[in-house]
Amino acid sequence: MDFAESDEQQMIRKLVRDWAEEVLPPTISKRDDEQIAPSKEWKQFCEMGLQGVTIPEEFGGNPVDDISESIIIEELARVDPSLSVMFCVHVGLCAKTIVLHGNQQQKETYLPRLAAGEVGAYSLSEAGAGTDAAAMVCKAKLSEDGSHYLLNGEKMWVTNGEQAEIYILFAKDVDHPEYGVKKHGGTTAFIIERGFEGFEVGKKEDKLGIRSSDTCTLILTDCKVPVENVLKSPGSGFPIAMNALDNSRIGIAAQALGIAQGAFDCALKYSTERETFGVPIQRHQMITAYLADMATRISAARHLVYRASWAKQQHYEHGAPRHSLEASMAKLYAGDTAMWVADLAVQILGGYGYTKDFPVERFFRDAKVTQIYEGTQEVQRLVIVRNLP
Amino acid sequence: MLMNGVPVGGLSHPLEWMVKTMPDIAVLIKRVPDTIAKIIVVDGTIDLSGVKWIISPYDEYAIESALQHREATGGSVTAITLGNADCDKTLKDAKALGCDELVRLWQDGWESLDSNGVQSILAGAISDLGSEIVYCGKAAADTNAGSTGPGVAEKLGWASISNVVSVSFEEGGVEALVPVAGGQAKVGINFPCLLTIDKGPNEPRRPNVRGIMMARKAEVNLKGGQAPAATISVISKSTPPAKPPGKTYHGAENVPAVVQALRDEANVI
Ligand SMILES: Cc1cc2nc3c(=O)[nH]c(=O)nc-3n(C[C@H](O)[C@H](O)[C@H](O)COP(=O)(O)OP(=O)(O)OC[C@H]3O[C@@H](n4cnc5c(N)ncnc54)[C@H](O)[C@@H]3O)c2cc1C
Repeated sequence: MDFAESDEQQMIRKLVRDWAEEVLPPTISKRDDEQIAPSKEWKQFCEMGLQGVTIPEEFGGNPVDDISESIIIEELARVDPSLSVMFCVHVGLCAKTIVLHGNQQQKETYLPRLAAGEVGAYSLSEAGAGTDAAAMVCKAKLSEDGSHYLLNGEKMWVTNGEQAEIYILFAKDVDHPEYGVKKHGGTTAFIIERGFEGFEVGKKEDKLGIRSSDTCTLILTDCKVPVENVLKSPGSGFPIAMNALDNSRIGIAAQALGIAQGAFDCALKYSTERETFGVPIQRHQMITAYLADMATRISAARHLVYRASWAKQQHYEHGAPRHSLEASMAKLYAGDTAMWVADLAVQILGGYGYTKDFPVERFFRDAKVTQIYEGTQEVQRLVIVRNLP
Repeated sequence: MLMNGVPVGGLSHPLEWMVKTMPDIAVLIKRVPDTIAKIIVVDGTIDLSGVKWIISPYDEYAIESALQHREATGGSVTAITLGNADCDKTLKDAKALGCDELVRLWQDGWESLDSNGVQSILAGAISDLGSEIVYCGKAAADTNAGSTGPGVAEKLGWASISNVVSVSFEEGGVEALVPVAGGQAKVGINFPCLLTIDKGPNEPRRPNVRGIMMARKAEVNLKGGQAPAATISVISKSTPPAKPPGKTYHGAENVPAVVQALRDEANVI
């Protein structure tokens, strides 16, 4: 067993950290206040080629190992959790899903575009179907000539909704034999382009945190999708959806880890600078204890996240058992750690922590979502117990 | 060999001219402790365990110049360092930025070379490689001596320019911008030559992920060489004298005393 970071992992961490610390802070508060998506920052980010880390070289990607993918997400989140989730959805839920389930034609059409920086998204949830994803009501009906599907309905909570060009979107094929028979019967995964007829980006949510991440509804009105854009086959979408979540759940765990680290770094620095009763507050034993506990929990979360990333790679490259258990444990623990650490970070900064003058206020708001999306903490517990050896 | 871009001597192959218009560029890099690392002195020597190591910052500018040179005229860039196996990491960082070849110079007994020895070994390696232009940082961040570049040029019998802030690439040579009293001078220099690079308007690039993954597979070419016996030795090292404690003055009535102290003791006004 080897716990050391490889040279490449170190280099990738340094690359992303240096970039994030230099490029993101100047625009971060304004983007957070006004809910502006990080499109300009994304363009610069793509110069490093990182948007293609889950895409094979033959399709223009720059593959890296799965721990490196988590390191990138973590380092982005340490500065800007919004850009971090943008990246995570693009490389994980969107690109990786096409890599795993797309046919040659679909890969040739879409992967080079995603590798070149066009933004990807993933749309499973609806107003009435979150945790209970199989309850989705968006419908797809094959045209009479069999050349395309017409999709109708409204999707909700689509990260990158406003910026994306390419969406993996789930709807139920009403002509599928299992439609209406099984709860998720007929669920089909489509690749949808923003320019398709009948496709419209709807409302952008006004959120508590990750406010620079664009979370939107999608409105489908006889949205015309060529049959070639069905992933695998009609009716085979539900396992694709669940598998995608297993993968990118680890990404969200890495995002949570980065948030915790970012909040901690700020609190640690502050604790050496702020003096009360004649000493830096770090010397008050209660603050010392907070810092020790925070650092320890972050370290534990990091081990779970990297281990889950490793298990994911073992699964895909060496046929090891699926990584559902590791992914859910990492997401559960890292999400709770992000919230807990951000809370204490605000506490350590006192009144200043409660203002927008320090980033812990933003980390505190951003942390919460890591306990909700890609499966709520309650769902992670269900998955964990169901998958215990 | 080229003089002013014109081949001298017989061409052994009709394509040699074409090949040789694309220069062999070398860049000398050094692994140094991170400039923000805490330096701990134990028993009169510096304790470097636990220190983070980086490419010396001016060397990053040298790499940038070398890469821009290659982009402008073609050719290839060889990164050279002198040091133990830990320095492979430094060379790989250079590879990730885009250097083509990596050379590490090392053999047993080279732990305590003096600067004269270092310069001889580097110069030997450069002539073996057949490089026509060498870039290096104006000084390394650890010793800050600034002697390596000019020393290597001297050993090679080459012309050199120090403290270059920007370079434009010509056939058979380069034009270098250097600070001079009251302004800047543009200096032309023919191959073979050596430039020591200062911070300039061209910020060193970042690696991209493809470069990083290529660096993983890159091979480091290990070479030994001849080192002259050391002629320079460090007699002793000491920490700077402790700063005397500061003085605090309160109230407007003390303004004259402060002014006096600033003038007579601090010598700042
Ligand atoms: C900012 C943001 C971005 C998002 N991005 C995307 C995206 O890109 N793509 C996408 O498809 N979706 C996305 N989502 C949707 C997200 O995955 C869902 O919000 C999440 O799955 C929870 O669903 P819900 O909101 O409908 O809550 P509900 O499912 O209604 O759950 C409400 C509460 O009940 C609990 N609960 C529900 N069922 C059970 C059960 N069986 N046992 C115990 N407790 C239960 C939940 O844990 C939760 O606490 C995003 C959400 C947010 C907030």
